[in-house]
Amino acid sequence: MELEVKREKLVLRIGKGKYEWHIEPRYWRNPFIYVGILIVLPIIAYFVYPTLLPTIINANILVAIAIPLGWMTVGTGRMNFGPQFYIGAGGYAAALCSIHLGWPPIVTLPVTVVTCLIFGLLMSPLSIIAGGLYYTLLTLLFPLVFLEITFIFTDIFKGDTGLFGVSPLISGGSFGTNQLMVCLLSLFIMLIYMFIVDKIMRSKFSASMAAINDDEEVAEAMGVNVKKIKIISFTIPAVMIGILGWFYAHYYGTFSGITYLPLSFMLKVLMVSMIGGRVQIYGCVVGGYFIAILELALQYLVGDYSSVVFPIILLILLLSLSEGLFGLYRKRRYREYLPTLHVRR
Amino acid sequence: MAVNDVSFSINEGETLGLMGPNGAGKTTLVNLITGKYFTDAGDIQFMGHDITKLPPYKRCKLGISRTYQIPRPFPELTALMSVAVSAIYGKDRENQSLEDAATEATHYLEFCGLFSKRNVLGKDLTLYELRGLELARALATTPKLIFVDEVMAGLNPSEATKAVRLLERAKEEFGVTILWIEHVMAALMKAAQRVVVLHYGKKIAEGLPQEIANDPYVIECYLGSCHA
Amino acid sequence: MLTTIETTLIYTLLLGSLYLLVSLGFSLICGVLRIFHLGYAYIFVATIYLTWLFFNTLGLPLWLSILLMVIVQAGIAIALYKGIIARFLKMEEKIITGLLLIALIAQQAANRWYPIQSAVNLPTTIIPGSLSLGSTSISIQILLAALTGIVVTAIFVVFFLKTKTGLAVRAISYDINTAKIMGIQVEQIYMFIMVIVLLPVIIAMLMIAPVWAVDPTMGWGYMTTAILIAVMGGLGNIRGTIIASYIIGLTHAFVSFVIAEPRLMNLAALVVVIIMLIVRPQGIAKTESLW
Repeated sequence: MELEVKREKLVLRIGKGKYEWHIEPRYWRNPFIYVGILIVLPIIAYFVYPTLLPTIINANILVAIAIPLGWMTVGTGRMNFGPQFYIGAGGYAAALCSIHLGWPPIVTLPVTVVTCLIFGLLMSPLSIIAGGLYYTLLTLLFPLVFLEITFIFTDIFKGDTGLFGVSPLISGGSFGTNQLMVCLLSLFIMLIYMFIVDKIMRSKFSASMAAINDDEEVAEAMGVNVKKIKIISFTIPAVMIGILGWFYAHYYGTFSGITYLPLSFMLKVLMVSMIGGRVQIYGCVVGGYFIAILELALQYLVGDYSSVVFPIILLILLLSLSEGLFGLYRKRRYREYLPTLHVRR
Repeated sequence: MAVNDVSFSINEGETLGLMGPNGAGKTTLVNLITGKYFTDAGDIQFMGHDITKLPPYKRCKLGISRTYQIPRPFPELTALMSVAVSAIYGKDRENQSLEDAATEATHYLEFCGLFSKRNVLGKDLTLYELRGLELARALATTPKLIFVDEVMAGLNPSEATKAVRLLERAKEEFGVTILWIEHVMAALMKAAQRVVVLHYGKKIAEGLPQEIANDPYVIECYLGSCHA
Repeated sequence: MLTTIETTLIYTLLLGSLYLLVSLGFSLICGVLRIFHLGYAYIFVATIYLTWLFFNTLGLPLWLSILLMVIVQAGIAIALYKGIIARFLKMEEKIITGLLLIALIAQQAANRWYPIQSAVNLPTTIIPGSLSLGSTSISIQILLAALTGIVVTAIFVVFFLKTKTGLAVRAISYDINTAKIMGIQVEQIYMFIMVIVLLPVIIAMLMIAPVWAVDPTMGWGYMTTAILIAVMGGLGNIRGTIIASYIIGLTHAFVSFVIAEPRLMNLAALVVVIIMLIVRPQGIAKTESLW
């Protein structure tokens, strides 16, 4: 494995494969500046306005959920309406291990990864055999059924109240510094996800995923191994989303399925990518921060009614912005291959 | 039965014509050989490999490629990207990134005369350009055998002549074997070295073009007075 | 042992007929409008809570409340069609998200103004009391609801097979473009369908309300069942939906009485549907059309 940095290109060779990426010379499109802003933001907030830190953490995590979801959607060619299933699976795995076995967050992380890997592999054949609409329906139902299971086996999952007593992510130091560290950790996770998915979307895989989205049969006739790409595009994003469940469990110290598994949470994540203009990566950042700030603002402005006003505002946004906020800025490029669902037979 | 007990072989470097009235099972035959459908009985041998049970993408990597009767481009991909996909996945290549594949794709696009349209989306191309794109895409997988499905349907005479010349040049330049399905007799008889005729899923004749043109049974089938 | 089988059979028929009312509308919208009405859950919530709004908060008589509720719901359905569905016909994920948001808004609104503690209780019992069939005792209201389910489904089937509008609907479900060329007013039929699928759900909800629990999140449970039935029966096919209703009814009854673990009902139904999809991916339906 060998990494070469040429003047404007980054070349990676693994075994027999070669992957090449451009380094963007124009400063206003250079992502490092924006990354710098994102890093500086929580540090400023820590000194000036510490109550903003939970909102920033919330925003980062929402973005970090929407990014692998985008990859999953493009790669499998279908819309997964139940990504919160993996948040539930990962979160419960981490919480249970932490409470019953007393393991610290570092150790529960691999447990979460393995759990979500198993679930992802079990459910990935659905993306191959189920047609677009059936897949949507079944993925919609899985978290709801998972929620019911948590209610049935109340002694394990503690139903409504959820598990609590999960060890915190970072301890030692004052509460404020801990929160700042957690915030930077969430930012770190989000940036890593952005990096991974962006590089994948600019490499050979994106060409094959685009081809699969457009016409699966022709893609296969041209030599694309459709099954392998779908399984990879399902399982790895599933694990990535599951890690965020781990984060939620250790950050809040409690984990209850009722917060994450029903549709209200899923719609938030969906709206992050829709407001972001259906672009997989950079638009999600805009969308995620927007939604987190919107929630915060509604808490202040309408307080009690925010649970009703929030979806109403989301609906108005959905209807009025055809390309999302980010789409207002972005010109049409040819790489818009998000799949559409049709009631096929 | 769409295809019933059809046996034939095709030699390397020749152009085999496949004829037959509509509904004779020609496209189905191509679908069977390229792997879209699996055969119920019989086997397919390709360059020493038995490919009867292989999935379509493995058959492509061995060297079989096809075009479609009704062009099926990738609608949301540009012409360049479409051909690049074939270039990447047609064969297992070492050391090829997306940029390199795009460069290679320009070579095939230029061969088919589509270089100026390389950034046009698949859904915006005209029929003639689409047929060119189909051929470029099939050639980019560096096949040994191409199935060309009714390349002249819907083209006016000058475009049709250009298409036939394109196929000839492809054969010369890339050294492919072509199995050509066509209804336009004049072109097929000139270009093909051997012809196979299908009717209602059965092979009713095989041989040199002049023999087929004079075969009374074939003539009767095309004029419509016989049943399978 | 015998009583368990008897109870299971009786409840299969009851539940199956009830689920007909619940899933018929969803299947119709899938088959005719060719969209996934994932906001279907809002109809259940809106029926109960709108009626309660008119009846309890505004003090109107029950029959007037129900009438107003139907009118308001019809208006909402048409507004939904014009506002969301017709605008985003080609971008299905926007339609689905929009409809899901509507269902969420309905649930949150109901939760905000009439949470579980406010004891919403619609006095829509037609015949109170219960009846003994063999050694099983069932509430007469549920029995009436089941019978109504069968009657309503029969009316729908007759409508689709025998009337001109029904013929138009079937034509649209076969091939929309040909139907348009033939002069069928597709927009009007779409709006008609959107309104008409409200009726079975309204009837079902009004009859079940006094007997089974009512709370703002109940829409999702019924919609889950409707989705499972529609998927199993083949989306948009009425015959398949009818058969699938009884199969799911059987599953639920089996899990409730034979395995005696009623909390596993939805999970069992999901497993059955997944097995069905693996064995026969297009569902029970033999054709791709409405009947």
